[in-house]
Amino acid sequence: MTALTLENVSKSFGKVEVLKDIDLTVEDGEFIVFVGPSGCGKSTLLRVIAGLEEATSGEVSIDGEKVNGIPPARRGIAMVFQSYALYPHLTVQDNMALGLKQDGAPKARVAEQVAKAARMLDLEPYLKRRPAELSGGQRQRVAIGRAIVRDPKLFLFDEPLSNLDAALRMNTRVEIAALHRTLKASMIYVTHDQIEAMTLADRIVVLRDGRIEQVGAPMDLYNDPANRFVAGFLGAPSMNFFERLPGTRAGEVLGVRPEYLRPEQGGRLRGTVTHVERLGGDTNLLVASDAGEGFAVRLFGQDPTRVGDDVAFDFDDARALRFDALGRRMR
Amino acid sequence: MPKPHVLIFLAPAVLVYTAVMIYPLFDTLRLALFAADGQERVYVGLANFRRLFLDPLWSDQFWNALGNNFWFFLIHMLVQNPIGVALAALLSSPRLRFAAAYRTAIFVPTILSFVIVGFAWKLILSPIWGIAPSLLDAVGLKSLFAPWLGKEAYALTTLALISVWQFVGIPMMLIYAALLSITEEILEAGEVDGITGMAAFWKIKLPLILPSIGIISILTFVGNFNAFDLIYAAQGALAGPDFSTDILGTFLYRTFFGFQLQLGDPYMGSAIASAMFGIILVGVCIYLFGIQRRLRHYQF
Repeated sequence: MTALTLENVSKSFGKVEVLKDIDLTVEDGEFIVFVGPSGCGKSTLLRVIAGLEEATSGEVSIDGEKVNGIPPARRGIAMVFQSYALYPHLTVQDNMALGLKQDGAPKARVAEQVAKAARMLDLEPYLKRRPAELSGGQRQRVAIGRAIVRDPKLFLFDEPLSNLDAALRMNTRVEIAALHRTLKASMIYVTHDQIEAMTLADRIVVLRDGRIEQVGAPMDLYNDPANRFVAGFLGAPSMNFFERLPGTRAGEVLGVRPEYLRPEQGGRLRGTVTHVERLGGDTNLLVASDAGEGFAVRLFGQDPTRVGDDVAFDFDDARALRFDALGRRMR
Repeated sequence: MPKPHVLIFLAPAVLVYTAVMIYPLFDTLRLALFAADGQERVYVGLANFRRLFLDPLWSDQFWNALGNNFWFFLIHMLVQNPIGVALAALLSSPRLRFAAAYRTAIFVPTILSFVIVGFAWKLILSPIWGIAPSLLDAVGLKSLFAPWLGKEAYALTTLALISVWQFVGIPMMLIYAALLSITEEILEAGEVDGITGMAAFWKIKLPLILPSIGIISILTFVGNFNAFDLIYAAQGALAGPDFSTDILGTFLYRTFFGFQLQLGDPYMGSAIASAMFGIILVGVCIYLFGIQRRLRHYQF
């Protein structure tokens, strides 16, 4: 059974076309991450799936059922918002119960579902508190709890970690991954953070300007990007692109990830170090090459290189990806 | 002891406020303890209040005005504020067209002078040259018309409704602002939970604007118990017919300044003003300590 199918989905606001002919199939139990730069339409796509926006054209099906025109509450989805969007006047318990109550679910079932979600998310001590009395991480868990109690066929997350600090973000990321394993539910997750995308996703959907650039497992996208945009978007520091290396034809671009560059006397890439980032485990160098192309190098471990040093690097040709002038991959 | 510059910066505000608010207030309270004896001013303690509350010559009028004032306030609470909330809810609906035009039209009477409002409504409702009888006639409802401002049973309610017409824009604006400050995402979360339309209003929006409704209630209370101008403009200081529209403001005016054959009595007038001050103070205290503490203000 497919959890979600999008067929030729387009969305325009007035004359602005935000989504263009999106096709996507999500299998049951998959964790899909939409990733892309700001304004690429990833949040709009999520809202179209949720029913908060209607698709201008195309078909959205959830669990095999066409849901165009059906209000969000009857689509079998649950959504976690960026700002958590908890009801400020209700306790944690009531926040989680409100949707079920509105559905007319029997009291016993409401209590049971809320208790189950609270147990799963360690919210039991806070059930009587209001959102204002909770920390950011706890609010986040309440928002997830509110989604869980509805037993949705599809979970939608809209940049849920962007309001948390770095340490908490890491923890919550692990929790969401664990939650996905426990619930075995289908999840769609929107983020602009590629680390979240790489670590959580079964498959990543990379969007740009309202179009899907590529869909695939994280490592497939990393190792085998379909175009220059995907290649540059995933990975930090991002992939280096060279146009003026000896041996490259006019219009052709060679892409090499920073970790595939190795120091080598007389290598093809020579230049001067302009910046050094020492991360402890890694050392990142920014180099201005003699050919006039800047590039980044990622060295493992700690490296004594300093700003102003003259350096030379080379790489395995097997590791280099070739792109044509339009950014398409040449295989 | 605060630093000298603190005192210097505070001084202008304190001096102005003392001169125009604190001193007159306490002088009024002081004046209520005196009475005229020929040309002399003599201290009489609480005798003025005893006369005001117990001597039938004064107390009949006082209780009448106080009762009318409560009715005036009740009409505002039951009619003006619910209508204001409803209008704000309608205005904040994203599907409403020309919302800005309605908002302005409803708010405009608020900036009109009482004199204009009172006089205009007197003309509209006049049985002789008013347009109300002919308008009702045009839709075949002339039998419903009565000289509302001239009948003891209707006059006060009619004036209260005129005041509602004039001021409904204020609760509307305050609630409208409160509704706009509710984050869109909370309403969308409600939508995902199936809470839309009326349910969204009762279960999400209303609880979140309760603090604003509280503020509006107390503003209405203070405004109504200080009211004077509309009654004076429409019915004169005698607040006719037969004092049926007399409220504390008009009663105070007649007593303090005198009217027609009644001589002004600043001492009894001060006693009435002090009583009004006390009533409003008690009302505001009940609100502040009894109600507002239980209302939560929410951050979004």
